[in-house]
Amino acid sequence: MDFTLTVEQQMVRDTARALFAKECPSSLVRAHIVDPAAADVLWPHLQDWVALGDGPCTDLALFCEEAGAAIVPGPFFVTAALALPLLRAMADAAPGSPTAAIADQVGAGTRTATVAWAGVDGIWVIDPPEDHGRTFILEADRVDTIVVMLPGPSAIAVDARILREELVPVATLDTTRRCCFLSASSVASLAGATAVVPLDPDRLAGVLAGATVALAAELVGTARWLLDASVAYAKERVQFDKPIGAFQAVQHQLVDMALDVERATAAVFYAAMAVDAADEDAPRATHVAKAAAGTAARHCAKVGMQIHGGIGYTWEHDLHLYLRRAHASDDLLGDAAYHHDRLAALLFG
Amino acid sequence: MKLAWSDADEEFRSSLRTFLEEHCPDEARKGKDFMANDDDRVPPWARAWQATLFDHGWMVPSYPAELGGRGATPLQTLIYLEELANQGVVRSVHFGGYAIVGPSLLEFGNNEQKAMAPAAIRGDTVWCVGMSEPDAGSDLANLSTRAVEDGDSYVVNGQKVWTSYAPYADQCFCYVRTTADPSIAKHKGISVLIVSMDTPGVEVRPIKHITGAEEFAEVFFTDAVVPKTNLVGERDGGWRITMGSLAHERGGLWVEGVAGAHRALVGLVALAQRNNLDRDPIVRRRIAAAYEQVASLRALGYKGFASFAQGSSSPEHSYMKLATSELRKELFDLGMDLLGPFGAVTEPGWAEEGGRWWQSEFIALAATIGGGTSEIQRNVVATRVLGLPRS
Repeated sequence: MDFTLTVEQQMVRDTARALFAKECPSSLVRAHIVDPAAADVLWPHLQDWVALGDGPCTDLALFCEEAGAAIVPGPFFVTAALALPLLRAMADAAPGSPTAAIADQVGAGTRTATVAWAGVDGIWVIDPPEDHGRTFILEADRVDTIVVMLPGPSAIAVDARILREELVPVATLDTTRRCCFLSASSVASLAGATAVVPLDPDRLAGVLAGATVALAAELVGTARWLLDASVAYAKERVQFDKPIGAFQAVQHQLVDMALDVERATAAVFYAAMAVDAADEDAPRATHVAKAAAGTAARHCAKVGMQIHGGIGYTWEHDLHLYLRRAHASDDLLGDAAYHHDRLAALLFG
Repeated sequence: MKLAWSDADEEFRSSLRTFLEEHCPDEARKGKDFMANDDDRVPPWARAWQATLFDHGWMVPSYPAELGGRGATPLQTLIYLEELANQGVVRSVHFGGYAIVGPSLLEFGNNEQKAMAPAAIRGDTVWCVGMSEPDAGSDLANLSTRAVEDGDSYVVNGQKVWTSYAPYADQCFCYVRTTADPSIAKHKGISVLIVSMDTPGVEVRPIKHITGAEEFAEVFFTDAVVPKTNLVGERDGGWRITMGSLAHERGGLWVEGVAGAHRALVGLVALAQRNNLDRDPIVRRRIAAAYEQVASLRALGYKGFASFAQGSSSPEHSYMKLATSELRKELFDLGMDLLGPFGAVTEPGWAEEGGRWWQSEFIALAATIGGGTSEIQRNVVATRVLGLPRS
């Protein structure tokens, strides 16, 4: 397996890094906590990149890694990594339908979208049960379209304004992504609509795998920021007349963080390659990537907090924004334990 | 980024597979974990196998034919190491000669010493490497085995310890102190001497290690006289040579560690199934977590190789020894756990898989000590990769 980046891939990474450094400072991330509209200024810079959701998972993952390092607020991830591939699957199943037009608009970045997929247990399954509400609908009160997964499996793309009154906003640890739930009765009321599109379970599994790897890439970016911040702080903070990074007790914790970040990064891009090649190892690699990335981000947040000492525990320091994102994204699309259980099912049958 | 290598490179793998099918003896396929308790540490089959590899250009593929290779590219070398590891094939039972001494003689030796390299790589000469001493383990520069000039000779006095294969070795690649001047840095007074093991005054005392095997030894030097012509490289210039190893293979050194962990994992899955533990949710989750480690470290190795092949440094590889050796301990711990009360049974005929699990568990304990302890590995990553100040 060859991890060498092509010139185009290098460009995706460099452009994303420069873009977020310039357009997504932590002041914007913080302004978004108070008023989600504060992140709207980002969208004109991001809308051309939504199309990454139509392309190779590898490229999307490269972009998401940088977005995760900047804990970019707003609907980019859910639009590009989840809603767009799902809408494309619907469009392919119902060519020429209004859904196909919506997919094109989302792909062009002129319309934002989210998915109502996870059930009341918070688990994302290919064929959701009937009479279930939907949970963890990211940015549902901020986007234009909500794609609701229905039994069958099938799905319907709904104008978000129609559901606005029924969405229940739910605060989570993550200050960068808004979250809503939808009741079972709201979901049931959509079931008979003419716009419902039946979907191929294998295609849905592919959508879920790609989004899981993209989220793992975000987590790796988040973990790397935490590592870099902690290493930088350990070099600069002086106690007992030397930088605390000169103490082995601190050094060894930083090395263990770095190891977690490195192996999670490798696992994510291996999984992206496997998904792109539709390799038989792709399902295992996806579980490995998400488990490794979620674990790395949480480990880096926890140890990073310890390395920073008191200053890291303040609201003023950005560390807690990353801690929050690390926890929420580890949970989203299945936490490490969930993916270990799925992996065990593949290993043991 | 792409998953598959080119067809040309896969052809290289095919020709290696054909060679292994035709020539590789069963003994060489036992895998490293099992090999440790054989009585004869350098048995005749191992000597013949290493010579066969050399003669067919498969011993160190990146070298030219006269050094047991075939001018392989870095990627082909990786494929070679990968294939050997996946098949559990060992190329040599003593790595000192082909992996350390041969390359060091070629890089630092004079013409006569360079001429000794092919025999070291072919295994015709068995070498031990005299590095560690009672007071120079992780702090290697503290070594005190003394070599004092006397006419055309050096007179060597002192002691080495943990010297692998010393009881079987013909020659010792020996690190000695030629300058003991407290005013200069410790590592600046070290030289390398080639010491024939039959030199009067050289005495080997095997050390039985915790599995009961006698793999390494203490080597005592009492007024051992070594010709000055046996000095390798510059006098007092030995520290540079400690860094010498198979540079061509550095991009693939991690392969065996990952493959060993993978073999253990396959064994764990089978063990859990045999013992009806494969429905136990805790066992399932622990094995899956171990799989996550093995799979992600394999990916990290390949990611590092991409940097290595482009000629840049590969910080990824700095983590591999640390990570794979620590992982092996976890894996065999898990194996012992799965065996329950029978994990402690060593009785032949009763011990699970011929004692595989306890032996591997014990051998794994050495892996985080030898070749740079996990603590030293972390220190190295901290200062060289993360750029933290020295402690």
